[in-house]
Amino acid sequence: MAAGRTFIVIAVTLLVWTVLYSPELRRSAEAAPTGTRRSISLALLTPVAWLSDHIGLTNVTDAAARAAGRDPDAAVGGVVGGVQVGVDDLPEPTGSPKPSRPVVRNTPIRSPTFDRQLRVAVVGDSLAAGIGYFAERVFKPFFVEVYKQGRVSTGLARPDYFNWPGQMQSIVDRADPDLVLVMVGENDNQGLLYPDGSLEQDIGTFEWASHYEQRVQRFAEIATSGRGHLIWIGLPNERDRGRWEFIQRQNAIFERVAARMPNVAYFDTWHTFEAADGTYNAYYRDGDEVTQIRTDDGVHFNTDGYTLLMEKVAEFTTQEFRLDNKTYET
Amino acid sequence: MLFPTVDFALFFCLVFLGHWVFNHDARAWKWFMIGASYFFYAWWDARYLLLLAGVSVICQLAAITVSRQDDDRRRMWAMGVGVALTLAPLLFFKYYGFFTVNVTNASAALGLRLSPPLIQVILPIGVSFYTFMAISYVVDVYHRKFAVSSWTDVTLYLSFFPHLVAGPIVRPSELIPQLDVRRDARHVDVVGAGWLILGGLFKKVVIANFLATAIVDEVFGDPTRHGALEIGVGIVAYAVQIYCDFSGYTDIAIGIAKLLGFQFPQNFDRPYSARSIQEFWRRWHMTLSRWLRDYLYIPLGGSRKGTARTYANLMITMLLGGLWHGAAWHFIVWGGLHGVYLMIGQWKRSLRERGVLAALPQGRWVEVLRWLGAFGLVCVAWVFFRADSVGTALTMLRRVLSGAGGQTDLVTVRVLAAIAIGLATQFVPHAPAERIKASISRLQPIPMGVAAGVVLFAITTLGPRGVAPFIYFQF
Repeated sequence: MAAGRTFIVIAVTLLVWTVLYSPELRRSAEAAPTGTRRSISLALLTPVAWLSDHIGLTNVTDAAARAAGRDPDAAVGGVVGGVQVGVDDLPEPTGSPKPSRPVVRNTPIRSPTFDRQLRVAVVGDSLAAGIGYFAERVFKPFFVEVYKQGRVSTGLARPDYFNWPGQMQSIVDRADPDLVLVMVGENDNQGLLYPDGSLEQDIGTFEWASHYEQRVQRFAEIATSGRGHLIWIGLPNERDRGRWEFIQRQNAIFERVAARMPNVAYFDTWHTFEAADGTYNAYYRDGDEVTQIRTDDGVHFNTDGYTLLMEKVAEFTTQEFRLDNKTYET
Repeated sequence: MLFPTVDFALFFCLVFLGHWVFNHDARAWKWFMIGASYFFYAWWDARYLLLLAGVSVICQLAAITVSRQDDDRRRMWAMGVGVALTLAPLLFFKYYGFFTVNVTNASAALGLRLSPPLIQVILPIGVSFYTFMAISYVVDVYHRKFAVSSWTDVTLYLSFFPHLVAGPIVRPSELIPQLDVRRDARHVDVVGAGWLILGGLFKKVVIANFLATAIVDEVFGDPTRHGALEIGVGIVAYAVQIYCDFSGYTDIAIGIAKLLGFQFPQNFDRPYSARSIQEFWRRWHMTLSRWLRDYLYIPLGGSRKGTARTYANLMITMLLGGLWHGAAWHFIVWGGLHGVYLMIGQWKRSLRERGVLAALPQGRWVEVLRWLGAFGLVCVAWVFFRADSVGTALTMLRRVLSGAGGQTDLVTVRVLAAIAIGLATQFVPHAPAERIKASISRLQPIPMGVAAGVVLFAITTLGPRGVAPFIYFQF
């Protein structure tokens, strides 16, 4: 076939695919951080997706996705530490009674029994997805059931894209976790949006931090509403120094919220893994032994790093909430 | 820039137009394609353009120096220094972290306390592939198999975007002569290219990504939570996943090159239909296998220097092949296992030649048993390749061999179907595919585009969400 006709084939192929796949493409664009690229993508895709919605094509494509075993409304997936992360199915609601009075002081985590394993939910963004993956390795399966609930590219800033408070409520209702491990915030360096997509507070404003703190507080309240315990795992430092100040402000918020709530504790990832001179360190030194713990992106942990982080978090939970140390391996 | 992304689709449309616009002017076309390829590479991280350009300069200077030496000894020295300099960036970027950690820990164990600087070196994408191509060029010039080419040709040979990030590893004699041939704009093999691209996407997005999320990552993540059945199926699933992932990528790369009028060498030829490990290596990642054979195994002496040296050369080649895949002990064990397999195969062959061992019996069931044996050995080696440590790999094998009990939730009909489809691709004859392609080629451009768009939509809908990088990008 001649080159010109070949170009027509390529162009028609991409056009047909774009129209058919526009709902998914729009959702991917919505997941992107606010900025010019996202605005342009949405400007181009919104009319196509609108057309797809109105001629009923979206229903057809959603049905095709469901037939393929995929939830068309689920968050966009991704890869963490070299693996494509998945999310565990949650059990059906237990209908167990909720506490009539709020918890007012720190209490120990119950010990697992033969017929009732400890339930641990790991929630948050891609960092949490990584922890969840390796939590299964650190916690002993005989004693602990882990629910991996990390969602790539999510955070507390954009409930229009992924509604973490709603999801957390669902996790509490269905999994009734004894312990929630949350690591979130890596993608929150952007304006705070309402679930309908309107702007609550723009990034860089004086009020951003107080509004963000309210969201953190609300999330922690939901996570502990079933009388479970919550470890808020702080963000680690990153290779990009330009991000340090913002991350430290976020960590200060997480720590403040944890300090004023019962059964909530803050784990300081930043200082656990920083270099001796306070800078970013891709390696961890334990005595004379050195291990590389961070991936090339300078943000995430590698296999050894996530395992080490999870071990430290488990030990910290024992220290804070007397988690039975037979439930995990270090 | 990943192939299965909107970014790449837009990039390729523009490159395709420019490619045919500049087609009549070889000089303008080469600069256009170098620019496009460097842009493609810079999309990942522009700083590493310097590395790509640096490797191109080093290997071209080395080739020029080699070609100017009349004395064989000096010529060999020039080649050796050139290869070492070309290899140096790869050694630094790929192995510095591995070296640092192991030297520090080994010296601490010996009470020496050596500690190289603990800096994080980022592995530039594709460096393993274009470094090997650069070495091919220098060595081929040394052997007088290939003459020194122009600076633009060498720059484009190494950076040409269809092969840049994960191969195939193309020889200079296979690509550089094509750069000067004016491509025929009246005959673009759009059906052949589309078949490869959509087929590659199907293998990657539908089979490989599905198996990764449905069973492989779970089983390899924590084998102690899984029984023998799940682990066993997970291992076979990984064998299918890595084949579909890497051969899918290669098919897309070859298809894209084909749309631009270029022919790339085949990289996979139904490797899991092999009935011996030697045959497997003739069918798996063929461009790497022949590179290791021609630029490592044969220069080491191949099988020409006695039995012991043959075994040693096989083992060295496979260990270095393992190390090429990654700076970690489990990759070295994977290479070592294949070295052992090949040594045993060589030993059995020599026994047969001397009449000590009876000739292989013939028959369908014997062939099936040989196939099962070869596939089983390959799967055992894949466990070390995929596991994050030798310890995890051994735990998995131990649990399979001991028949450890456990849940079987991950062994679903869909998983088994995906494995079956992946393995079936190894045995389906070529003729029906050729007939389908012949039918498609009779379509007009618009119906052909609509059909391809619907197939593309089906592929992207059937696969899990998100764009998982190709496994071989990390190498």
